[in-house]
Amino acid sequence: MSEYSSKGLRDFLQSHLSENLAAQGRDFPDDFGDTCDLLLSGLIDSLGLMELMTAIQEHCGREIDFDALDPEQMTIVGPLCDFVSDQMKTFQSDEKLLV
Amino acid sequence: MKVPNRSDQGLWTGFLRSAGRFPGHSAVVVEGKTLSYGQLRELACRIAATIQLRTEDSSTPLTAVFAYRSPVAFAGVLGSLLAGHGYVPLKRMFPIERTQVMLERAECQSIIADLGSLPQLDQLLSSVRKPLVIVLPDLEDTGHLQKQWPMHVFIGSRNLAPMNLWREPSVNPEAIAYLLFTSGSTGIPKGVMVTHRNVAAFLEYMVDRYHVTQTDRLSQMFDMTFDLSVFDMFVAWEAGACVCCPSQKTLIKPAAFVGEMGLTIWFSVPSTAVFMKRLGILKPGRFPSLRWSLFCGEPLPVSLVAAWLGAAPNTALENLYGPTELTIACALYRWDPQRSPAESERGIVPIGYPYPGMEVLVVDQALREREPGQEGELLMNGPQMSLGYWKDPDKTGSAFVTPPGRSEIFYRTGDLVRRPVGNAPLTHLGRIDSQVKILGHRVELGEIEAVVRDASGLDGVVAIGWPATASGYEGVDVFLEGVTRDASVLRISVASRLPDYMVPRRFHFFDRLPRNVNGKFDRTAMQGQLKEGL
Repeated sequence: MSEYSSKGLRDFLQSHLSENLAAQGRDFPDDFGDTCDLLLSGLIDSLGLMELMTAIQEHCGREIDFDALDPEQMTIVGPLCDFVSDQMKTFQSDEKLLV
Repeated sequence: MKVPNRSDQGLWTGFLRSAGRFPGHSAVVVEGKTLSYGQLRELACRIAATIQLRTEDSSTPLTAVFAYRSPVAFAGVLGSLLAGHGYVPLKRMFPIERTQVMLERAECQSIIADLGSLPQLDQLLSSVRKPLVIVLPDLEDTGHLQKQWPMHVFIGSRNLAPMNLWREPSVNPEAIAYLLFTSGSTGIPKGVMVTHRNVAAFLEYMVDRYHVTQTDRLSQMFDMTFDLSVFDMFVAWEAGACVCCPSQKTLIKPAAFVGEMGLTIWFSVPSTAVFMKRLGILKPGRFPSLRWSLFCGEPLPVSLVAAWLGAAPNTALENLYGPTELTIACALYRWDPQRSPAESERGIVPIGYPYPGMEVLVVDQALREREPGQEGELLMNGPQMSLGYWKDPDKTGSAFVTPPGRSEIFYRTGDLVRRPVGNAPLTHLGRIDSQVKILGHRVELGEIEAVVRDASGLDGVVAIGWPATASGYEGVDVFLEGVTRDASVLRISVASRLPDYMVPRRFHFFDRLPRNVNGKFDRTAMQGQLKEGL
């Protein structure tokens, strides 16, 4: 499994969030899953989400075009991870073509 | 547009004037809908008439607005004011216990709530002991709520009073325009009483300075529980301009929002721009429509300015400063690429010069004025100085003081500044309470933060005295936000510029540092982490 696969990104998201929540003295939610809306569930606020996007980008080592993702979807775990994973696949196939 | 004699007008006056002149113009864009001045006036007047008819006269009438980024939020603020009440903004995302304390302390007789806040309203009402008038302009049928909570009166859209029953209230410039709760050091929020006269002085200067006209489009990045939102709404409405309010989700795509809305005036905390920079979305020339970029609420790093100006090539950039107690903002500084780098101190943009009529004093611990060039606490007074804290004479007395040799009351900001020499701008050096004693030396944590900020290239840096000793602290730990740097390399770089006792013992890297409800760094939370061994 690639760390940039949809599953790999979910794992990254989970460890990142649990670390941040622990820093605030909060517990990681039991019902965390693909349909979890990070913003509406109150897990993080809008600045926290911008930070999360930054962390994902830094984890991937490339600029992710978050503007292409519908804001209604980008706060939900499943669609967010799928989107980033698809972007990374596109980058990787473009790089293969260049080679 | 210069507005004469604003000081005797109510906060609602400018909106009504603009609604009379431009009834078809856009007043607010929210939830993807545009409300014209005429539409917003009608809804606000109907809410106001309902409150006027249903509530009893009170010496200090206040109405809570429990609504978030919705048409009702804006109509609720205006409706409270048009009823002759001050408004008390509440937010459903806050812990419900905190909101309960605010509502109880404010002794509001009425609440205006939107549909999205209904679940939390239910929780809120469980602790309310006095009957309330609850206005729900989004909800047609309130029967089930009335049955569940018979002590209160619920009014839905069907039963809002008609507009022609609304009566414009008489203006008392010393009445509370809004009561805004800020975090108190004891954990109990303090209500700051801001009068119509306070806001009038602020608005008069702002509308004039920024030449705001009916063609302008202003961002509403601030929640209404943050007093900087008053700028967005009332500067816009004073001039017939449009407030563009992103949804909770759109807030995380600010760059796209600027373009989609065609914003001309941007106003946010610097943190928003810091994340935009880190995300790489401050592309050169991306925001051509912006003619003003304003930042307030926390120190503005010099390193951010060039990136922002590259993205917004047609903008002028200003750093605003002000505690809630001095009404939104009371000092400002215009960035000048030639002059400003030399005028900035510790990598932070100056806070500049006081607003008209506001007087500055820089004092020592005994409140005696410091000499030019020396550091001290910033005290200010003038037309924007608020009345103090709601029903809290003790806290008001300790923050609003008369310095020796003076007859006027000044507000103690708790901010450490350098008293300017000549016509130099005021520079912000940190908080007074960030001055600590380390191994007997007096240390300004802001100085350590500035050096670490420079050495690491990271904007989010917070220094904390740690561990505590009988006389102060043994050393300093530093929290950094962003990509982890090599701590030993960083320490060597910092050690070359600071005396031994100021060199941080440990660096803690986080993707995001704890922030309070307004997005400012939360030092207490970081101290808590150190206490718990991280």
